[in-house]
Amino acid sequence: MIPIALYLALAAIIFSIGLYGLMTQRSGIRILMCVELMLNAANINLVAFSSYHHDLTGQVFALFSIALAACEAAIGFAILLALYRMKDTISLDHINILRW
Amino acid sequence: MAPILSMIVLIPLIFAALALLTKTKEQARAIALTGTVIVLLLTVYMYFNFDSTIAANQFEELVEWVPSLGITYHLGVDGIAMPLILLNAIVLPLLVLFTWNDDRKSPNKFYALILATEGAVIGVFTALDFFLFYIFWELTLIPLFFMVSIWGGPNKHHASIKFFIYTHVASLVMLLGIFGLYFAAWDMTGTPTLDIPTLISQFQFIESGIAKDLIFLALLFGFIVKIPSFPFHSWLPDAYTEAPTAGSVLFVMLKIGGYGLFKVMLPMLPFTASPNMMISIMAVLGSVSILYGAFLALSQKDLKRMVAYSSVSHMGYVTLGAAGLVSLSVSGAMFQQFSHGLIMSVMFMSCGIINNATGTRIINDLGGLAQKMPKLAVIMVLIFMASLGLPGLSGFIAEVSVLAGSFVNLPVYVMIALLAIVITAAYHLWALQRAMFGVYNERLGTVTDISTYQTFSMGVIAILVLYFGLNPSPVLDMMLTNSEHIISLMAAMGV
Amino acid sequence: MAVENYAFLIPLLPALAFVLTFFLGKKLPKGGAIIPIVAITISFVISLLITLNLLANPEEVINQSYSWFAILNIGILVDPLAAVMLTMVSLVSLLIHIYSVGYMSHDKSPSRYFAETALFTASMLGLVLSDNILQLFVCWELVGVCSYLLIGFWYEKPSAATAAKKAFLTTRVGDVMFLAGIIILFSDLFKIFNGTIPDGIYILRFDEIFAHIPDIAAMNANIFGMEVSHITLITLLFFGGAIGKSGQFPLHVWLPDAMEGPTTVSALIHAATMVTAGVYLVARTFPMFIAAPDSLMVVAYVGAFTAIFAATMGIVMNDLKRVLAYSTISQLGYMMLGLGVGAAIGAEAVGISLFHLINHAFFKALLFLCAGSVIHAVGTHDMRQLGGVAKVMPITAATMVAASLALAGIGIPGTSIGTSGFFSKDAIIENAYLFGDTTGAWIPYALSIVAALLTSLYIFRLLFMTFYGKPRTDYGGHESPGSMTVPLSILALFALFFGGLTSKTFNTFVSETFVNNFVNLNIHELASIGGYHLASHGGHHEPMLILWMPLIVALVGFLIAFLIYGLKIVNMDSLVSRNNPIYKLLYNRYYQNAIFTDFFSVKVIYEGFAFAGRAIERGFDWIVNWLSNLTLEAGESLRQFQTGVVQNYATVVITGVSLLVILIKVVMEVI
Repeated sequence: MIPIALYLALAAIIFSIGLYGLMTQRSGIRILMCVELMLNAANINLVAFSSYHHDLTGQVFALFSIALAACEAAIGFAILLALYRMKDTISLDHINILRW
Repeated sequence: MAPILSMIVLIPLIFAALALLTKTKEQARAIALTGTVIVLLLTVYMYFNFDSTIAANQFEELVEWVPSLGITYHLGVDGIAMPLILLNAIVLPLLVLFTWNDDRKSPNKFYALILATEGAVIGVFTALDFFLFYIFWELTLIPLFFMVSIWGGPNKHHASIKFFIYTHVASLVMLLGIFGLYFAAWDMTGTPTLDIPTLISQFQFIESGIAKDLIFLALLFGFIVKIPSFPFHSWLPDAYTEAPTAGSVLFVMLKIGGYGLFKVMLPMLPFTASPNMMISIMAVLGSVSILYGAFLALSQKDLKRMVAYSSVSHMGYVTLGAAGLVSLSVSGAMFQQFSHGLIMSVMFMSCGIINNATGTRIINDLGGLAQKMPKLAVIMVLIFMASLGLPGLSGFIAEVSVLAGSFVNLPVYVMIALLAIVITAAYHLWALQRAMFGVYNERLGTVTDISTYQTFSMGVIAILVLYFGLNPSPVLDMMLTNSEHIISLMAAMGV
Repeated sequence: MAVENYAFLIPLLPALAFVLTFFLGKKLPKGGAIIPIVAITISFVISLLITLNLLANPEEVINQSYSWFAILNIGILVDPLAAVMLTMVSLVSLLIHIYSVGYMSHDKSPSRYFAETALFTASMLGLVLSDNILQLFVCWELVGVCSYLLIGFWYEKPSAATAAKKAFLTTRVGDVMFLAGIIILFSDLFKIFNGTIPDGIYILRFDEIFAHIPDIAAMNANIFGMEVSHITLITLLFFGGAIGKSGQFPLHVWLPDAMEGPTTVSALIHAATMVTAGVYLVARTFPMFIAAPDSLMVVAYVGAFTAIFAATMGIVMNDLKRVLAYSTISQLGYMMLGLGVGAAIGAEAVGISLFHLINHAFFKALLFLCAGSVIHAVGTHDMRQLGGVAKVMPITAATMVAASLALAGIGIPGTSIGTSGFFSKDAIIENAYLFGDTTGAWIPYALSIVAALLTSLYIFRLLFMTFYGKPRTDYGGHESPGSMTVPLSILALFALFFGGLTSKTFNTFVSETFVNNFVNLNIHELASIGGYHLASHGGHHEPMLILWMPLIVALVGFLIAFLIYGLKIVNMDSLVSRNNPIYKLLYNRYYQNAIFTDFFSVKVIYEGFAFAGRAIERGFDWIVNWLSNLTLEAGESLRQFQTGVVQNYATVVITGVSLLVILIKVVMEVI
């Protein structure tokens, strides 16, 4: 049996990679992918704890989370597509319309 | 028994939603009239079933709402609220009739806002739970804000935002006061409650004197700004003047500040750490308002602005009478709210008519209107006389009760207020003489007298002003019962 | 007797007539004049019956009270004082209404006129009937507002609208003092009852007030370091109200301007329904005045000064109605003096003063109606354009002479031969002498004698200038119709004979109002509270010269008028010029208009205080705007943090979360 610490370490590494990408990347698509990475790191945690505690609730939540991530990706790409049509770029440095 | 209080609060709100859905002026005004008349009928029914010899809350409705926080749905009326509900119920249908033939953009929204204001204001008067009270209190702001900012005069944006933010800040301070009272009482008793009568009765057991004074002052500030009293009145002239006529009348109906003063402040007053200081604060604010408002009214060039300042002056009697702490003065102050509502609504209607007919409200540009508008002239003379406190009309009853009653405890402040009486007469007569009498100013063009609908609504209110001036008992008796109750509580405490 | 059950109708019928005439008058002939005339006739008959009944049965005083609101009441009180006033007011008002039918026949809105005069009469009757001070004040104010409406009857004339406003505001100054007096009185009584007033006791009723005079006198107020008894304070404030309403110095300025209304309105105001209210107030509260140290002195001095002050202006006016207006002010001064000398003679002063009030009402109404008759016929009221009117209008002239004789007070002392004014005015002057004798204050007496000379001078000047000699301009004219001359003749009979016939009865009747009546007061005891020493009864034996003095000065006045204006032995043009400082001072009415109206009310109140108010208001607005700007600027600078780049926000969030985690960790370890 693989100790839970390894699962958690894996999740932490994936999360950190995602975080790093989120903060450094310019392209919207890459940022979205990084967010997915972070979400999946959390899913790994959920599943790991689920099997550790012998409780299936965690796995159910992981399934929900994956479904949500799919929705999020769909909406996120739609937004990015709309942005690209409007601004001809998906570099987030140039998209600061949140201001005001 | 049918939940009559819920009905008079909800019916205007429901009809407001209905009015919003209509397409034409005809439909909107018909719905508005129906809604306000139903409220009037229910209120009249309630008035005749009201026992004016007891000070307790009547027609009570109590439903648990959020027990963990002590929030209940608790409604009831006593002798302080009943006349004010009656005032709203009487004036609002007449206001709808007054605007019957006016042409304006989006009449559906206009009438929806009138109805929404009625529901919210009556809600404040009936709520016996601070949660509900505060919801309705803030709800009154919204329709009035839109009233001013959509149909207002040239300076409407400034006026509406100033009014909204100014009074909203005051409401937030009041909310802090409510929280203070709520948590202090929760600490003491271990059970949370937002019930107004319960919290008021628990106020005296709060140990810290500073806490009590802070709570009192926070609540007082909230109410005083709404009344409004000097020096927190500066939102009023702008808002009243820029509002459309119906908006000004709705502002006049907004007697929630004075209501809070009687309902919440006075029963708590003797238990504050320094009641004498609180009384002095109220007395100073009241008497200075009377004098200051009168001087400002005297110096105005715009008729409507003059009326707005006269409102500041008149509402000073409410604060002064409340501080007088004699049953005559307190009931006089309550009666002043009632009478002022009637008188001022006709004053603002007159201003609106003059503005529509001549295109100006600058007093010096008018002149000799009595020759072209004899009906308006008769009503205006009567109502101006009522406003300057002529005996036989309702304003006098209130003023003389406040002055005579307050003199027992506050002689100096009453003397300050007395100085204003001549000034009050001066600006009323000056305006009448310049606007209505003298040679007709031909530059005003052709002017026609007021329409039948307008005559009817102004005439009915004018007759009521006369009726309550001759026989104030129908509303004064219940006010007296309640003020005697308040005073007896104080006497029991030895204040 | 049953008539007392109808006493409440006396003010109610004219009030009803007001409502009916106001709404229906336009559809009726003559503006519906018949309605108020019938109503006031009934009021007059009831008043007369009550008065006669009271004369026969002095104990049958009518006093009915009903609760009004809170601890205040409304009610009617008809004692001798009220009864004679009621009868006079309703009679004079009735005659003026009948006269007005002819006088107002050419006006465009007679119905409004008759409605307002009916209300005017109703208010005055209500005032007289009041059994409590608050109701008296209510009617007092209604009288004021009716005068406002009637003086401004021709509101399209700017001068009329201004005069109406001036009248209302000037009397309002007095009214505020009156109200302050009532408020102090109320709070004193409230304290005497310790705040708990038993059911059925109305503390502002006159009997209740009079019963507590000693208690009120015992209270002291400290005003700017001076100890003043409350009773003095209250009575002086009441007198302040009377000063405003009865046109005493210095609040008399409105009365001459009140001429802007129809002449019949002037007659009403001057004779029956308005200016007498102030005198009536002092008479009604006389027991309070006599218990108040120095109050009666103030009344006496103000009255005497007003009498002479107004008379001096009366002799230079060229406007027919203005002369009469100043004459009214002067005569009201006499009435006040008559009450003021009560410090020496007690309750008798009320009878004497009221007697002059009634007589004055008859002859002053007559004078005004005669003047109205002249103005109606010739269309001008400038005396310089008149002259010789007697030939054209013999009845008017004859009645005018009768009224003038009454005003000048011609009669033979020691007998009952004389005009009405003679009996009452001489009694006042004699009592002023007695007042000087008792208190050592001779000034009121001296002033009243000189004023009597001036009175005779100005009224005969008016007669000679208007009715005597040759017409100075071509004015045409004709005698007035019967509806106008009949009231004139009736009033002339009253002016000539009323005084002689009733003098004795009247004085004893009214003087007993406060003794052996609805209240039984010990006037001597009250006077001792006030610190006055009443002259003993029956000791009124003045020297012969004093008795004849008023008549002598009246004749001297007549002589001067005759020499100057009748025989023209002096060239008036040399006196009447801009270069004569005294004439200029008098003609400009002592510059009171400039001082009160232009300087005080316009410059100080309107421009000064109102300007200061605007400045303060701007200050408040500045504070509010400053606060809102502060908020805006704070927001503006905080806005810099909002870059709008998502990654910046994410960085901040992550930093924040990391710090939070570390913080929790540290805190947990410390605990």
